Amino acid sequence: MGHLFTEKRENKVKPYKAILNYFILCIILIIVFGVAIRNLGLQFDFSFVGKFRLRLWDGFKMTVLLSIVALFLSLLLGIVSAIGENSSLLLYRYLSKVYVKLIRGTPLIMQIYLFYYIIGTAFGIDNRFFSGVLILSVFEGAYISEIIRGSLLSIDETQLEAALAVGFTKGQTLRYVILPQLIARTLPALTGQFASIIKDSSLLSIISVIEMTQTIREISSTNFKLFECYIFLGILYLCLTLPISFISERFERRFRYAS
Amino acid sequence: MQVDLSHLSKSFDDKTTVLSDICFHEDIRTLALIGPSGGGKSTLLRILGGLLLPTSGEVCIEGKNIGKCEKELMAYRHNVGFVFQQSGLFLHMSAIKNITLPLEKVYGYSVKEAEQRALALLDQFGLLDDQQKRPAELSGGQQQRIAIARAIAAKPKFLLLDEPTSALDPEYTNEVLDTIDILKKEGMNFIIVTHEMGFARHACEDLAFLYNGKLLEFGKSKTCFTAPKTAELSRFLSRLLEWNV
Repeated sequence: MGHLFTEKRENKVKPYKAILNYFILCIILIIVFGVAIRNLGLQFDFSFVGKFRLRLWDGFKMTVLLSIVALFLSLLLGIVSAIGENSSLLLYRYLSKVYVKLIRGTPLIMQIYLFYYIIGTAFGIDNRFFSGVLILSVFEGAYISEIIRGSLLSIDETQLEAALAVGFTKGQTLRYVILPQLIARTLPALTGQFASIIKDSSLLSIISVIEMTQTIREISSTNFKLFECYIFLGILYLCLTLPISFISERFERRFRYAS
Repeated sequence: MQVDLSHLSKSFDDKTTVLSDICFHEDIRTLALIGPSGGGKSTLLRILGGLLLPTSGEVCIEGKNIGKCEKELMAYRHNVGFVFQQSGLFLHMSAIKNITLPLEKVYGYSVKEAEQRALALLDQFGLLDDQQKRPAELSGGQQQRIAIARAIAAKPKFLLLDEPTSALDPEYTNEVLDTIDILKKEGMNFIIVTHEMGFARHACEDLAFLYNGKLLEFGKSKTCFTAPKTAELSRFLSRLLEWNV
């Protein structure tokens, strides 16, 4: 009987065992939340979803758009900064280092206020979408820079020596050896970072970018259905992030040979 | 193969001296480079392979200076095959791709010619069944034999091997050494850094002993083993052979 609930880490879990254990987990979660809801005497009413569906859809689209644009911009910033950290040009190297340290060392909410209200106002940038995407990209770019830098460091020195030994030029080494290995190593983590971008974009609601979280905040402030609104918001985010984490895991398995 | 090293020295960060004033003028065919770890064997091999620049001194092979600028070294490397201790194969490529890609991109073979050459080598080494496997799916011995196949694919003038068996189990060690021995019988010249004293003694004509960055001894392998001239080599050999059956 016990074997239904255990499996060695190195083995693949059989489907019937996975289904059984996930099923039990669901029941436990339902019981825990069921008891909590009952004790609070909550009655759920999700009728607002239908009523506000157009606004919710717009917010959903805005979150997706924000995240995709921020993904590309932050990838660009991350690459530029990771190259900078290895640059022999000191100003470029220090700029990259300071950028990564400052951004990773401070909370996003502080950066949003600071950049939007002080820097944005001073330079006359008042387009909220534009500012939001920019702030989010600067924030995520620092993390992506570290992902790329780590992958670059993890490429074995012998691989580069071997490239030299077989007669590759610098360009050929980059194209045939460094880039394929770098992509294999960064892709799983980058995909994971995309899920973070989607979640972090919710903080842009504080400068009133009308994305998913801001839409829910506005709706909940008129209908006072806080629990329903935020549960629904959580489900919407999961719809976006769960498939991404699934893809990330697939990449991880596919590129395992590289490590 | 005439190898001339004149006052060759190498220091790292201007502090650590790895090779000091090596002078060597010999005609060699198969040379074993032995010595204690940290003695500078791998560094010397890398300089001979054009992978590393000496701090001072000259390297001439067959009377020709291998040069100092990247362009000269690049041209020189095309005549040399290099086998690393481990992970010298490109991890993301299949065994056959490891061999064909340099042939196509560096030596100008057509896709078909490169494939034919690679298949012939894999067949010779008994690795045809493993051609589509990535290095991680191959045993250490198979990896090193593929690495040797890659190194000789473009028909280099000579082969440099940097401890090709030191990361391997004994059974794989023998299969790699057998492969090198076959190449020797086919007339391939090579210099090998090795701790396999049996191989150094019986398969290599000459032997050079590197100790603390200095070339202390050079001679016929058999003579060096039976009658070492320096106390250092004598001590080194007696330590290595202490547990031999």
